[in-house]
Amino acid sequence: MLNIKKDGTDSALTMTLEGRLDTTTAPQLEEELAANLDGVTDLVFEISSLEYISSAGLRVLLSAQKIMNKQGDMVVRGATDEVMEIFEVTGFSDILTIE
Amino acid sequence: MTSADKKIITRKKRGQSVIFKSLFGLFLLLFTYSSIISMIGYRSFTTAMLDQYAEGAFLTANSAADELEPWRMDEYAESMGETKRYTDVLNALHDLCNTQGATFIYVIQPDTTDYAHIRFLFSAANDDVKYKVYDFGYLRETTNHEYRIKYRQLYEGGSDRELVIRDSGYIETDSHITAMIPIRWEGETLGILCVQRQMDKLTQARNGYLIRALIALILLASLMIAGQGYYLNRVLLRPLSLIMDEAERYAKENTPAKTKLSDEINTGDEIGQLADTIDQMEERIEEYVGDLTKITAEKERMNTELSVATRIQEGMLPSRFPAFPERSDFDIYAAMDPAREVGGDFYNFFFTDDDHLCMMIADVSGKGIPAALYMMASMILLRDHASSGMTPAQILQDTNEALIASNDQEMFVTVWLGVLEVSTGKVIAANAGHEYPVLRRPGGQFELFKDCHGFVLGGMEGMKYRDYEFTLEPGSMLFLYTDGLPEASDAEKAMFGTDRMIAALNGAGETSPQEVLRHMRAAVDGFVKDAEQFDDLTMLCVHYIGRTDTEEGTK
Repeated sequence: MLNIKKDGTDSALTMTLEGRLDTTTAPQLEEELAANLDGVTDLVFEISSLEYISSAGLRVLLSAQKIMNKQGDMVVRGATDEVMEIFEVTGFSDILTIE
Repeated sequence: MTSADKKIITRKKRGQSVIFKSLFGLFLLLFTYSSIISMIGYRSFTTAMLDQYAEGAFLTANSAADELEPWRMDEYAESMGETKRYTDVLNALHDLCNTQGATFIYVIQPDTTDYAHIRFLFSAANDDVKYKVYDFGYLRETTNHEYRIKYRQLYEGGSDRELVIRDSGYIETDSHITAMIPIRWEGETLGILCVQRQMDKLTQARNGYLIRALIALILLASLMIAGQGYYLNRVLLRPLSLIMDEAERYAKENTPAKTKLSDEINTGDEIGQLADTIDQMEERIEEYVGDLTKITAEKERMNTELSVATRIQEGMLPSRFPAFPERSDFDIYAAMDPAREVGGDFYNFFFTDDDHLCMMIADVSGKGIPAALYMMASMILLRDHASSGMTPAQILQDTNEALIASNDQEMFVTVWLGVLEVSTGKVIAANAGHEYPVLRRPGGQFELFKDCHGFVLGGMEGMKYRDYEFTLEPGSMLFLYTDGLPEASDAEKAMFGTDRMIAALNGAGETSPQEVLRHMRAAVDGFVKDAEQFDDLTMLCVHYIGRTDTEEGTK
């Protein structure tokens, strides 16, 4: 289960993720990103309610990061200890801007 | 005979009875209808005939009354039937009987106290009738209550005519009417003149009418039933049987029809539509079965290919154990258990030279065939780079660049790669986003070894990785795994977790790598129970024993 909430103006988008970002739910986020990233210069992922992220979820974050590298900034905010540990183990903490 | 055949036969019988049922219904309808018509006809016929008979009888009665000359009633009563006038009147009545077709003409005087008895004054009969006439003065009981009422009416009710009808239906004898008129003089009723007419003509005519009507109705009904039968057979049963036969044939043979039903049944009504529908249904089933066969064949082919792919993938991983039977200074064991036919996990170990054992464990993001293909690519790249004698960090760095160059699917792989110098136990390793290794130092417990992490391979170009070093003292054990192990989930989505993993490792006791893996697998299975394995599960365990003195000698 993954709930995605979108807030913000055309250029600044905040996506709040709740639940689990894994193989089953990652395509959901991928679709949302494909539909909403055009013209966004500031992308924020608010993930304080995200319980778990699998490699499929990391892959979606990676694609988002690659897109945002070209058109602006991306920030991941509010990672829980569990998710933070996954970011660290996989080295994603090196390439993501985590606040 | 199979039960399906039996069913078909029963259905056929039922089909033929449709006509019988509908004809039987028609027969009942016609029967009821014609009965009602006959009854109505019978009634009106009878009424008309009766009226005619009655009118005739009353005419006769009036004529007789004229002969009678009512003022002479006393005279007749006193004549004792012997005077000339009496005889003349009797003869006149007798003639009237014969000329007017009456059966009896008689004059009576009822006993006016209760009308229970009548006395005959005159009594004349038709010559054709063999009955005896009553003599003058004959006294008898009134035939029945009905006559009694009529007599009273004529005497006391002032009635001018009464009629009694004896209609015995279809029996030709005995049906008769009796027309009665009072004989009155100066306001006083002196007797009753009765004319009885046999109604044999009526019953004859009526019976004739009934028989003719019956024959006509039966003929009409038969004609209608035959016509309806023919029509039903042509319009309903024949096309229905055609449809039924075709459905049966198709159920048995499952082959397309040689001639279409809609070509044979072109009625344009509901049955024609049914024929069209059956045709279409057969076509659809044929198409569907064709598609299904194709899909099944395709699926079988894919399954075969997948199982070949599984074997190829398994063949890529060193799977013969003990892997180095000639080496007693270390022991290594590994296993890969994909969630689907093919997996994205892999492990590998090989000697790059006599003293350096390269070990790696890796996990490709995703599962199934895409992951398996990516796994093959990264495995070959890693192996190639490792063989060239570079440090682990360099191997990872070069592999990353190579993977980036050929990856637009944003897939990536996490890799832990270490090179063990078997003679010294020194390990140089680098970690590209992979799970922490677990290390047990001699005499100690298994603990997570929080090593230095780089980014996953294939994710982003230009990533740098760092080598780090540690030493395995003799007796040390190094355990490597993919995230399928700590993230193995039970039916409630609870994860196995690293704590349970460490506990299971420590619970295995002082034993061989193979036993450690078996023990770990059992612990995971006990935790997830019946839940489906969701991710590939790969483990590698190396036990560093170190050189023994004898080996030192042989070297």
